Amino acid sequence: MALKALDIYKLLPKRNCKECGDPTCLTFAMKLAGGKADVELCPYLDEAAKSVLGATTRPPIRLVKLGIGERSFSVGEEFVLYRHEKTFYHPPGIVFKIADTESPDRISTVTLRVRDEFFTRVGADLRFNGIAIENASSSAEIFARAVETVEKIADLPLVLITADPAALAAALVHCGTYRPLIHAATSENRKEFCALAKQHGCPLVVRAKTIDGLAQLTRDCTADGVQDLIMDLLPESLQAFIVRSTTIRQLAITRLAPDLGYPVFLDASIMDLPDAAIALGITKYASIIISSPLSPAVAEAALTLRQNIYTDPQKPIQMNPGLYRVGNPGKDAPVLMTVNFSLTFFTLQGYLESTRLPCFMLIVDTEGLSVLTAVAAGKLSEMLVKDSIKKFAVEEEVSHRKLIIPGYASPLSGRIEEATGWKVMVGPRDAAEIGEYLHEEWKR
Amino acid sequence: MRTVTFLPGYRKIEIARGSTILDAAQRAGLNINVVCGGQGKCGKCIVYVQSGKTSFDAQKYGRFFTDEERSRGACLACETTIESDLQVFIPESTLIQEQKILIEGQETAIEFHPSVRKYYVELQPPTLSDPSPDLSRLLWGIQKTGGPAAEKMYVPLEVLREIPAILRHSEWKSTGTISLVPGGYRLVDLQENDTSKRLYGAAVDLGSTTIVVYLWDLVSGKIAGIASNYNRQISCGEDILARVNFARKNGLGKLQALATESINAAITSASNTAGIDREDIYEVVVAGNTVMTHMLLGIDPAYMISEPYVPVVRRALSVATGRIGIACNKNGGLFVFPAVSDFIGGDIIADILACGMSEKEEISLLIDIGTNFEVVLGNNEWMFSCAGAAGPALEGGEVLFGMRANPGAIEKITIDPDTLNPVYSTINGIKPRGICGSGLIDLLAELLCTCVIDRTGRINSGIANPRIRTSGHFPEFVIAWAAETDIGKDIVITENDIKNLIMSKASVHAACLTLMNQAGITRREITTIYFAGAFGNYINKKNATIIGLIPEIGIDRIINIGNGAVTGANIALINRRKRKTLDEIAFRIAYIELNAESSFMDEYTSSTFLPHTDLTLFPIVQKLLDTCRLAGR
Amino acid sequence: MVYDVNFGWSGMISEVILGATKADGGTRRISYRIGGGKTLPFLERKPGSSVPLIAFEICDNPQYWSPIVRNFCGDLVNDCGEWAQAADSVYKADMVRLYLTSTRQRDFSDIASVGKTVETVLSGTSLPLIIEGSNEPKIDSEVFLKCGEAGQGERLLLGTAEAGRYRSIAAAAMAYNHSVIAQSPIDVNLAKQLNILLKEIGVSRDRIIIDPYTGSLGYGFEYSYSAMERIRFSALKGDADLSMPLICSATDTLTVKEVREASPAIQDDIAVQWEFTTGIAAAVAGSEIICVRHPRTIPLLRKAFGSLNTEDSGKGE
Repeated sequence: MALKALDIYKLLPKRNCKECGDPTCLTFAMKLAGGKADVELCPYLDEAAKSVLGATTRPPIRLVKLGIGERSFSVGEEFVLYRHEKTFYHPPGIVFKIADTESPDRISTVTLRVRDEFFTRVGADLRFNGIAIENASSSAEIFARAVETVEKIADLPLVLITADPAALAAALVHCGTYRPLIHAATSENRKEFCALAKQHGCPLVVRAKTIDGLAQLTRDCTADGVQDLIMDLLPESLQAFIVRSTTIRQLAITRLAPDLGYPVFLDASIMDLPDAAIALGITKYASIIISSPLSPAVAEAALTLRQNIYTDPQKPIQMNPGLYRVGNPGKDAPVLMTVNFSLTFFTLQGYLESTRLPCFMLIVDTEGLSVLTAVAAGKLSEMLVKDSIKKFAVEEEVSHRKLIIPGYASPLSGRIEEATGWKVMVGPRDAAEIGEYLHEEWKR
Repeated sequence: MRTVTFLPGYRKIEIARGSTILDAAQRAGLNINVVCGGQGKCGKCIVYVQSGKTSFDAQKYGRFFTDEERSRGACLACETTIESDLQVFIPESTLIQEQKILIEGQETAIEFHPSVRKYYVELQPPTLSDPSPDLSRLLWGIQKTGGPAAEKMYVPLEVLREIPAILRHSEWKSTGTISLVPGGYRLVDLQENDTSKRLYGAAVDLGSTTIVVYLWDLVSGKIAGIASNYNRQISCGEDILARVNFARKNGLGKLQALATESINAAITSASNTAGIDREDIYEVVVAGNTVMTHMLLGIDPAYMISEPYVPVVRRALSVATGRIGIACNKNGGLFVFPAVSDFIGGDIIADILACGMSEKEEISLLIDIGTNFEVVLGNNEWMFSCAGAAGPALEGGEVLFGMRANPGAIEKITIDPDTLNPVYSTINGIKPRGICGSGLIDLLAELLCTCVIDRTGRINSGIANPRIRTSGHFPEFVIAWAAETDIGKDIVITENDIKNLIMSKASVHAACLTLMNQAGITRREITTIYFAGAFGNYINKKNATIIGLIPEIGIDRIINIGNGAVTGANIALINRRKRKTLDEIAFRIAYIELNAESSFMDEYTSSTFLPHTDLTLFPIVQKLLDTCRLAGR
Repeated sequence: MVYDVNFGWSGMISEVILGATKADGGTRRISYRIGGGKTLPFLERKPGSSVPLIAFEICDNPQYWSPIVRNFCGDLVNDCGEWAQAADSVYKADMVRLYLTSTRQRDFSDIASVGKTVETVLSGTSLPLIIEGSNEPKIDSEVFLKCGEAGQGERLLLGTAEAGRYRSIAAAAMAYNHSVIAQSPIDVNLAKQLNILLKEIGVSRDRIIIDPYTGSLGYGFEYSYSAMERIRFSALKGDADLSMPLICSATDTLTVKEVREASPAIQDDIAVQWEFTTGIAAAVAGSEIICVRHPRTIPLLRKAFGSLNTEDSGKGE
């Protein structure tokens, strides 16, 4: 349970010395409670207090970085079981797997796809994250050659899948300095794998079928000097994955089992139902998801789900500002302006749809505030409306210059007219009356 | 449809041709003074039509106007119908409502220890053998009469220049006025002869709507007079936002002058009634919200109303009254309360001083409700504060028949669970004209208890009772039939009104919960809830708890402190030790920005239910509702 | 060290029975008892714990339906009896959900036809049914009563109650012994409020299914997912007003841009993947009825739910 500001305040020196940059110990405590400040900023904190506060702010799951350069990514450093309790911070890397037995052409094709393909959704480019090369050939030489092929084409984070230390060593010759993820150390090969991981400074996957076994391995590996670990739970079914992954997450975040405080690895490609496994990996705490190259349909759905699950749920539910269409509005269709608080949006949209009168909704960015609060807080202003009309090219969409604003925004009506040059019509306060309003007022 | 533009605020509204200007003004959210309820009887709703075509029977209502006014387009808003697009000017007097102004603060015994004192001294004239300078002689004399040590006193040049003449002209019998200022004492005035019994101070609550002044006799420690009037800035905009925008466009000068003028008018009125010369007022203490005090001091408030909401100054300020034109002794001191942030101003610090929460070990919750609300939670060790917009519903705005606490407003109401007939009382006992905030809270609680509305505030249209009906698409409840009212119309409350009220109450309650969360305390740990402001004074505490406006802590532990701003100003005026603590209090309070607090929206949504979505927060109310709602079903 | 996890839950999801067999006075060949969970979805370690039901959605006026489904199902969409039968015997759904889209026509007044439609679907399939009433407050009451009456004894699930309109549907459900779907817009508090409202007018807990409103994948699903998790979490913590099972119906899925504008060659694939991904994520968050519109989504979900109920101890031994 996170400490409240007041609990933290009681541990602080209460000198109000301002040396932390905050005016008072109380405001500093508020920042600490919100995770917006570092305990170390306080020069007068005694050790006992530091350990209490430090323990609650240190991440319970280790942050592990894969790859170097532009496409490198980090996973772990998560704090919660439910995203609504805070948020999930580091989206899982989705990594396409190819066997070293595949033709160089095929290997190149997949690598290029990961390098180049992306989907753009709500302003973000969604991509796959890396290439996993599997040592299917059992030959160190072939494995190394496949790694070399990939390495030549793109600076992508790699996952090296082999049980053979010799093959691993051969592959690391080509990519060892680029922080590839090594998969996987087991109780059998741990010594050799740890030595290689340590030598090259690479993150390492440990694999065991039981939670006990995993904990033992992470203890042994850290003793061998490898800290950047990721755990493969080797689940035999989707349910086994959910159960083990949830258990590990809960034990890690409650700090009951520090040996389990590492990100989780899931090879969806070897599960019965790879598509389902990917979705479950995304929702249930996997940090590295290995998959066969995905069909466009599955790929897009998976990347969208990942984007959804790793969106901060505590931000007010906001719509993207923009010009939305209800039906197929023409040049003469009404334009209704409102805020980007999603409940406002959906409520209005619902009523507009039921009026069966095609129209435009101009959604302006009030950072998720409702009309009433946005007006009161000064977030909704004539300048915002003016800028939004310009930004979303509303003047190109309609031939008229009439803007319907929410009833609660009526105090701004004059100023909006002045700023935009549009004629402002004050709509009803209650969205439920919009149908009636449009039929009576717009039709004229 | 016709467009009506209202000046000076440049507010626009579209309305059907044939509607009255009053309708248009009300739809535009302007509070027009309509004592008669819009029947052309009171002549209070005078407006000036500057352009456009209207229809108005100037003959019939001629008695309300001078010819000059008519020539400028004067007419009665309630009797003028709109024919074309109009431009209408609303004078300040029409916007101002005759309203109960809360001038009484809580009567508490405050230790009398003012910051300014007079000392009458009879000095030995200088001689060749005693040639010490005039100033030393005077200060030494003051010290001997019980004043501060001579070396601690400082004399401004203006006073110093006057000393030799006054001492000699008065034959060395004079009265010095010493004021405690940061860094020491200041001789603010020297008068001939013994005027030591004539020393007054004014405590001012500088509200955005009203101004209240308490005049104190600083020798006897008694209140000499009280006066109040409207803040004349209202002519530049009704709300703070509008005034800041006015200042942006037209400069700060007018608003500064109007603030001073409003305070002066109240001081003058109180002085005249008490028979006091304003020149004998040596100190004025002002508590007001941050924008108001900035404007009074002529400091630009523009940066406060938009992100990142930064005031220019938050500490307490002392300046000479003469520098901003306050009508009192020109050397008098003006003390302005410190603020916590742009939203938690000196008025709230005054509330805190008035209720004493910053000195108690027990945890208190202070709530000041108006169109905006402020909440402070804490004790002598820590305090959290926040502020937000409650919307005007709790003050009677945005409610069809809502009104401020004017004569004719229904202020108390109960509903018979069987017949659903209401029993109400109005301010001044006249026929009802509308419902004010306290009446609305009663109404909401009663409608809930009688099952007329559900916990989201929706009216159960299935109940067969003539008082429950549908107007247009929306259900409403009839409180008073036309015949029993003063306005000739049924007074109703609509579902939309109820929704607005619930939204307002939810904001306040969610703010309380957000502070409690931040502190990590539950309602059980709150010893006292203090209600400050006009609204709190008339509120039914039980009903406020039933609807979940405030956390349930037991109504015997809810205390109305009335106009805490003026009480606090009074305390700061007459007790210098308390005044000294103000900066420290303000500094100690942490401000929480609700918009940045991710849990606030959640708390808000869970508060949009009567009394609350989490019924375990309201165990007593829940029990009560179970009983009466079961009976009512 | 024993690595076992104890969440300290004290609550249980309340059980709701859907459909009535002959033994219970109905004509369904099967009835389902859903709910009863005491921990997070799929963490149950007892054999035979239930997996989510898959409901196939049909309507009685396909003009309001996605063209993707109309193309895939062909002529079936014009006869809701046959469509329901196909949902049962061909698509292998667990339930059929009928939307009375015919009532969306302007000035719809043929209430009697509603009863006939419900009867047609009841005879088309012997699976338990979900019936969605009108969207129009003016005819709500009559439509719900007619549905309730036509399905008397069948333990239908009637939809959809909202905070602004719950009295008439509750009245129909109580009069004819059905259950109701309680829908609120993506918020745990609003969901709870509606349940309290329903409780106060006499709908018992075992007659309510919560619909937290499912935004489609990429268009609000992120909030729906957490709303579902929060509801499940509150229920397990012992909040009886949120303990009802959840239904997931991402009704806009087939109209989102990615699906609507997909190239014809893979449009069905995209539609199915979009529904499937939503469905499986919703199931993980706690939904016990997953509604779909594309027939091909059903077998995918069915297999996944199978793999999620392997009675595996989860410990790997």
